[in-house]
Amino acid sequence: MSDHEPMLTTATEAGRAAPHPTAEISLLIDVGSAWTKASVVGRTRGRWRIVAHAAQPTNWGEKALIDVLTERMREAVDHRLRDEVPAILESAARITCHTPVRPGRLGVAAVTAEVSGSAARRAAESAGWVVVEEAAADDGRSLPERLSTLTAADVDAWLVVGGFDDARPEQALEAAALVAAARRGGRTPVIWAGSAALSEEVSACFEPGVVATIANPRPNAATEDLGPLRHHLEELLDRLVESGGTRNLAPIGFRRTIGEIAREDRLRVVGVDLGARYATWAYADGTVDPVSIDSRVYASGGMSSTALTTTPAIGRLARSLALPVDELAVADTLQNMRARPASLPYSEEELQVVHAAARLRLAALVEERMPESIDLLIGSGRVLAAAPTPMRAMRVILDGLRPPGITQIVLDGAGVLSPLGSLPDEEIGEGIGVLRDDLLVPLGTAVVTRGGRSGQLAIRARLHRVGWPDPETVEVRAGQVLVMPLLRGERAELELELEGGATLPAPRRAHRLRAEVVGGAVGVVLDARDVPLTLPRRLDDRREVIAGWLETLLREPVPGRPREVAPERETPRRGLRRFRVGREAAREDAGDEGEDEVGEAEVRVGRERREGRDS
Amino acid sequence: MTISRHQDEDGQPAVHRVPLPRGAVPHVRTGSQVRPDQVLASRREVGDPVRISLTRPLARHPFEISELLLVTPGARLDPDQPIARGPDGREVRSPGHAIFLTYSEADGSALLVLLGAESPVIGHVHGTVLQVTRGFISVAVPGARLEGVGGMGDAVHGELVVAVHTHDEELRAGAIDVSAAGKILIGGSRASAETLTRARAMGVAGIVLGGILDKELRDFSAIQRRRREIGGMTGAFAVVLLEGFGKVALDAQLFSWLRAHAGRMASLFGDEHLLYVHEAASPPLRTLMAEIGDRVVIHRRPFQGRSGVLVGVLDDLHDTPSGIPAVTGVVRLEDGRLAPIPLVNLEATIAPSRH
Repeated sequence: MSDHEPMLTTATEAGRAAPHPTAEISLLIDVGSAWTKASVVGRTRGRWRIVAHAAQPTNWGEKALIDVLTERMREAVDHRLRDEVPAILESAARITCHTPVRPGRLGVAAVTAEVSGSAARRAAESAGWVVVEEAAADDGRSLPERLSTLTAADVDAWLVVGGFDDARPEQALEAAALVAAARRGGRTPVIWAGSAALSEEVSACFEPGVVATIANPRPNAATEDLGPLRHHLEELLDRLVESGGTRNLAPIGFRRTIGEIAREDRLRVVGVDLGARYATWAYADGTVDPVSIDSRVYASGGMSSTALTTTPAIGRLARSLALPVDELAVADTLQNMRARPASLPYSEEELQVVHAAARLRLAALVEERMPESIDLLIGSGRVLAAAPTPMRAMRVILDGLRPPGITQIVLDGAGVLSPLGSLPDEEIGEGIGVLRDDLLVPLGTAVVTRGGRSGQLAIRARLHRVGWPDPETVEVRAGQVLVMPLLRGERAELELELEGGATLPAPRRAHRLRAEVVGGAVGVVLDARDVPLTLPRRLDDRREVIAGWLETLLREPVPGRPREVAPERETPRRGLRRFRVGREAAREDAGDEGEDEVGEAEVRVGRERREGRDS
Repeated sequence: MTISRHQDEDGQPAVHRVPLPRGAVPHVRTGSQVRPDQVLASRREVGDPVRISLTRPLARHPFEISELLLVTPGARLDPDQPIARGPDGREVRSPGHAIFLTYSEADGSALLVLLGAESPVIGHVHGTVLQVTRGFISVAVPGARLEGVGGMGDAVHGELVVAVHTHDEELRAGAIDVSAAGKILIGGSRASAETLTRARAMGVAGIVLGGILDKELRDFSAIQRRRREIGGMTGAFAVVLLEGFGKVALDAQLFSWLRAHAGRMASLFGDEHLLYVHEAASPPLRTLMAEIGDRVVIHRRPFQGRSGVLVGVLDDLHDTPSGIPAVTGVVRLEDGRLAPIPLVNLEATIAPSRH
């Protein structure tokens, strides 16, 4: 329950004189491939709140879900309505979305695996397709082998790519011919996204109307523009696989809600939704008009991704654990997670493996795609929402995404962003507005620096809170992470000085700056571990460092106290959690670099955020 | 593992789809009775590429040939089918069954891929053909269908043989001899890559296990792939896991059911993780939402693969050792101990008599 107050109804609000109350509620439901999340939205004390929430394996069915919600509603609803809860839920307006039933399957024929083939794959995978087969003239296979491979592929569409726009490579025509031979008529659409000079000849390989010619994503050696191809693939996917409309698809809904949050608050927002099968990344820039939105949908980019169970990935994952779990156990845990995505990690070892897998998927999702500086980062998906503590979720997000700069980090804890995005355009903003208190769970603000010299001072910070004594200066060395408590709803001014080559992204590339930060379940995280994370090469050292970070991050936050009850001698440093990296700890007191005042800037995080949104 | 009884709630038998590669010609019709070893369709394998000069026989320049082509790229050619014809009636014909790929204006040649002899498409199941399409043949299979959680390999069929004494025993290489050739072996909790390699060498058709270490399955798959790449590998082989990855015992109830069906014909589909036991009685039914009193199988460590009875469900959310709060059931394990397990990590297993 998000609210322990009894849920009031229209009638009771009117003065408790009505003979019998009525209820206005809606159900927000996200039917995922593994878990279904449902939230009951109702009016309580004059405001719309999430009054009950439940998440359960999708294959348990709707009846079980409604039973749980009924039970939880009974605890929250006006006592006169308790017996009517099942009927109220039955008649509630439903706003639903779901994970696509299946992804689009694409066969790709390319001239080169590394250039046109790679571009085609990236465009397809980021548009929600799965490339089930790919053949390139230089992939080392003979012509008959490539033809056999394509012939055996079961696909929804074919994509043929290759050749710069001023060239007429024979291999491109050969690729088209291979697809024509493998396809053997039928209605399967073909996309030609290669040399413009060959468009007519490629079209002639197929029946009239079959080929759609799209702008070449690699028109020359120096240019790559995947946009038109991705856009066409998205449209084709909508038409072929989800002909009933795409607004109710969770990845689409998620993107729409992220865009609306950015537009309303004029923020640069990144949202990541890590599901069992799908992974969605969306970036919306609300500081420009109209809002620019960019998103990627990976049909097999979620926690069940086969990319996690390759030998290199398993090894990498095992080396990123704080506990000594051998690769055999890691591999089995990952496979069991894939086989039964709705089951939960039972032991700490399993949890660490699952969270390491989530970090790896997030890192792959954001590869070369994280904007230089964003205001708000939203994490969504069961693996984050079900993390045992907010700090665990924060760690997965921070280590996986490494957002450089000063970023407010929040969780879509109830999984309502995707269902909200399935509303008509004009209603999404309204939905966000009425649920502003419950929509997102603030974890806090992260300050992530780049660079810095190992073991040397990277960040000097002072957190000025209203009602607190003058803060003590906190120092963070390169390779360290440190958490300062700042409760949910609290705002403070963070004064930062960057030292030893540590930087924040432009326009905050200043050595001294001030930023308004907001608190959350975690607080303010000062993270000088570089982007990407730098780790020792030796396994033991690496494990020691990772365990140290985890220990630092997982300590329970010490609640802040206002000035009037705090003892005089107690400084705000109390409750500060600090970790010194392995051997570097001994050098902590070595001489700091002199103050370097190259620039000074004053910035605000979450500027122009509407009051109350992040409280 | 999910199990469909041989007749589901609608009274329909399990339906298996045999995928047809492009260009395959079906040899069965709707309503046909088929056997596991029956050829359901045939297709021609892709053979070597050949280049045929079009300029010389037609006495034309390479840039003039495009207009004389009678076929488009990707077309299938029958023997002696004309590929190009000049205005004077001269023709270039296909040397056999082939696919026309491209024409090169640089040297005036056509690139063809020859198609080899017909190869059979075998269904590996017995039953009644329900539907024949360009992409698949569906067959109603009178038997039990068991869906595993993992596996690898081809489609095979053979007699079901139990190769271990108990449900939690590991299948050892020494337990496999030449008498297992062509059979589908029921193993127990695990088989090593060495055991799989020996089974493959002995001509075993397939192995059904409770679990296997993912590493060993990957190693074995890599060996198979390399052997296939260098050639010389004959015969099909499949492995299917019914419970999970790691050393995981087969559920005792399911093991008993499999043992009771030893000697029956079975079909194993490694890549699809499917096992059909033909003409079989209903297996124990698995349901994902366990109720109090159900016999359950646990799916996460440290109790993975162990079974017991769900004796209660805790009122409030209960923290697992990982710290995740979950709706938790209390399971009385077969050794009498009680263990709190999240309900989502349980699967109820219902004996055939209670279906």
